Amino acid sequence: MTTANSQTKNKLNYVDTIGFGADVGGRGFHIPVDLSIRPDGRIFAVNRSPMHRLGIRVGICDVHHGWYHEFGSDGTGDGQFVSPTAITHGPDDRVYIADEELNRITVYNPDGKFISKWGEQGSDPGQISGPAGLKFTSNGDLLLVDHLNNRIQRLTSNGDYISHFGSEGSGNGEFNLPWGIDTDANDNIYVADWRNDRIQRFADDGTFIDQYGTSGREEGKLDRPSDVAVDQDGFIYVADWGNQRVQMFDSNWNFQQSIRGAATVSPWAQEYLNANADEAEARTRFNSFIEVDATEPHEISSRVESYLWDPTAIEIDPEGRLIITDSLRHRLQVYQRSTE
Amino acid sequence: MTTTQSRTDELLIAHLLRRAGFGGTAAELQKFSKIDYEDAVDQLLNAVDTTSLPQDLIRRYHIDQSDLRTRGSSAGNWLYRMVTTDAPFIEKMNLFWHRVFATGQTKLIQGKAMSTHLDMLRANGLGKFDDLLLALSKDPAMILWLDNQDNHKDSINENYGREILELFSMGVGNYTEEDIKECSRAFTGWTVENTDYMALKMRNNTMRPYGYVNWQFKFDPDDHDDGEKTFLGETGNFNGEDVIALICKNPATAGFIARHLYHYFVADELPVPQWPHFPPINAQAIEVMTHAYFESGYSIKAMLRALFLSDSFKSQSSWNARVKSPIELVVGTVRLAGGYDSPTSDVYAHIAASGYMGQDIYAPPSVEGWMGGADWISTGSMVTRVNFAGEIVSNLENNGVQELISTIRSTAGNSPTADSLVNASLVSLGKLQVSDGTLEGLVEFAAQNIELSNPTDEAIASLLQLIVSTREYQFV
Repeated sequence: MTTANSQTKNKLNYVDTIGFGADVGGRGFHIPVDLSIRPDGRIFAVNRSPMHRLGIRVGICDVHHGWYHEFGSDGTGDGQFVSPTAITHGPDDRVYIADEELNRITVYNPDGKFISKWGEQGSDPGQISGPAGLKFTSNGDLLLVDHLNNRIQRLTSNGDYISHFGSEGSGNGEFNLPWGIDTDANDNIYVADWRNDRIQRFADDGTFIDQYGTSGREEGKLDRPSDVAVDQDGFIYVADWGNQRVQMFDSNWNFQQSIRGAATVSPWAQEYLNANADEAEARTRFNSFIEVDATEPHEISSRVESYLWDPTAIEIDPEGRLIITDSLRHRLQVYQRSTE
Repeated sequence: MTTTQSRTDELLIAHLLRRAGFGGTAAELQKFSKIDYEDAVDQLLNAVDTTSLPQDLIRRYHIDQSDLRTRGSSAGNWLYRMVTTDAPFIEKMNLFWHRVFATGQTKLIQGKAMSTHLDMLRANGLGKFDDLLLALSKDPAMILWLDNQDNHKDSINENYGREILELFSMGVGNYTEEDIKECSRAFTGWTVENTDYMALKMRNNTMRPYGYVNWQFKFDPDDHDDGEKTFLGETGNFNGEDVIALICKNPATAGFIARHLYHYFVADELPVPQWPHFPPINAQAIEVMTHAYFESGYSIKAMLRALFLSDSFKSQSSWNARVKSPIELVVGTVRLAGGYDSPTSDVYAHIAASGYMGQDIYAPPSVEGWMGGADWISTGSMVTRVNFAGEIVSNLENNGVQELISTIRSTAGNSPTADSLVNASLVSLGKLQVSDGTLEGLVEFAAQNIELSNPTDEAIASLLQLIVSTREYQFV
């Protein structure tokens, strides 16, 4: 087994692209912002779709391009959401979705049927303001990124307060609008400290361990990281949102690789092109990798279809594959680590 | 720099801030209170934006303003800048060029291209006109707006070649049909990357499979006519750059752009299609700007400096004489009420309000832009304007309104009278000048409806609401 501390060069290999743009519901995605992967490998992607409200829903698929169904819709009623930000599975196989506008968490059964909802806006313990990330610990507690309160709250799966850590600032253990969260095999907690351009690592009880990140565009530097994921071997993957890339580090924060994106036409996308012959024909002369005459990563991504464009979230599936929500391209990009 | 400012300079600077900005907020008036008019002009012309709400914050909370697919998203993104910048003149100039180089998302479909177009205007709009015309000719939004991707060396499409002369530089009457053809030939091969696919996606209006891909300029030498051309009386193997050089050295171009600047910053001119048939209403102002244009090597900023220092601009007869465009009214009012200190869904309601008043940003009614002037006012639009401004300045949940009221209290003094309260309110609303009749009515309202010994926030807010519903508030 390769460990995250080894000197062996590790590499992320592009595997596949899942999905295509569907802004009125049905098979596909529209601005997917987070995903959660069940132990059976099914991928639950939550779509934010702010200007096309029919696109707001959770879509369920797998890495083999299987499509199962969708659930949830725009609204404030039970089972609905307005501005979904995060999704995760609980140990009871239930699905939890955070809504940063309604300041609530909605709980569904594995089929997407509404079970309950909880959450009260505020800054007191147990209250929330802008829930941005969700992750269950190995003992079944829910870690909630309470981002406008600049803290991480530990709650029961019913939303009862247990503890919290963090406050506004840029020092150790402080946050500036944190976003994504993950845990590793040792129950350490990793938080994407978005506006401090760093990832912070904490022990299970919230004690600060270390932090990584300086602002910049060069490899290894970060610009507004939106999410972090840690694989079974301790390798750390950062959705470097502002730099429009995903970076891989070992457990000591040694830089391994940066990926900009390599998406291809997925089977769902190909079906669309097959049904639209004029576009399929014009696309035969389409070159995704043009030489861009801009330097800002967001602008570059807007012009190169294969690149990641606002990669907001990353998860590791049971087979160790890295799955990235390529939000503005309405798809998932899949990678797998190998050892050279 | 002078340290004391005359009353005339104060009012003149307030006029300048209305015309070359969105109206002076209390903070802006304070900032300019110690300098004379000429220094104020220079500060305004050379201001650099330092306060716009950061794009990362906007994009996180409005992810639609990251891909900028819809017009509400792209126009909303511009509204953020207009409202939160401390260099409003730059955005005012962008609005000016958006009116002259009217391009529309209605045809182009993807808002990212419009935002890129705006970035181009922001980078070049105050520079040299030949640089601006070159950037415009390479701008993907303009290329697809006027079909230059269909302008081939073996079959020209005159759309861009015609409009660059008619609407963007010289004006009808200063070139011939042959010049249009030769100009079009010079711009053959000026297209965008992946031309066929991009043009088809625009025509089909589809974001599938993977969203819009923002366009990028491409020069295709194989599709460029590099043969000899005769343009504006000169002959050579002209390309687009050569044609632009010939356009920009022509006196007609200086006069045409000067007339546009006068039309926008000083007083309503006749509609552009009538310009070939009627002389400018102020030939002297045009002459001043034309002179600055050639003296400075085609600098737009130099033309504007000359204009703002000219008697025609400073004359009291031009103060509060133009009807505010809807976007001027929206931005100016929101800025007066404190603007946006964080991302808010209000931005969508506000950009929509401008549309209800008759000005959909990024959707001009034609290639000639908006007519403006009295066209902005109709029974329906007037009601919308008054309601919008009234709701904004009377919203006591808005911190900016609270600050406005606090400033009014402080200015009116501990024992305010109806006069002092009204005057303090007018000053806080950008040194708004009103007629004697309006003033009398406002004072009467204050005297009858406000408990002057202890004016409540609600009462002062109601006075503000009344002021922004006056005839005078509709003018700039």
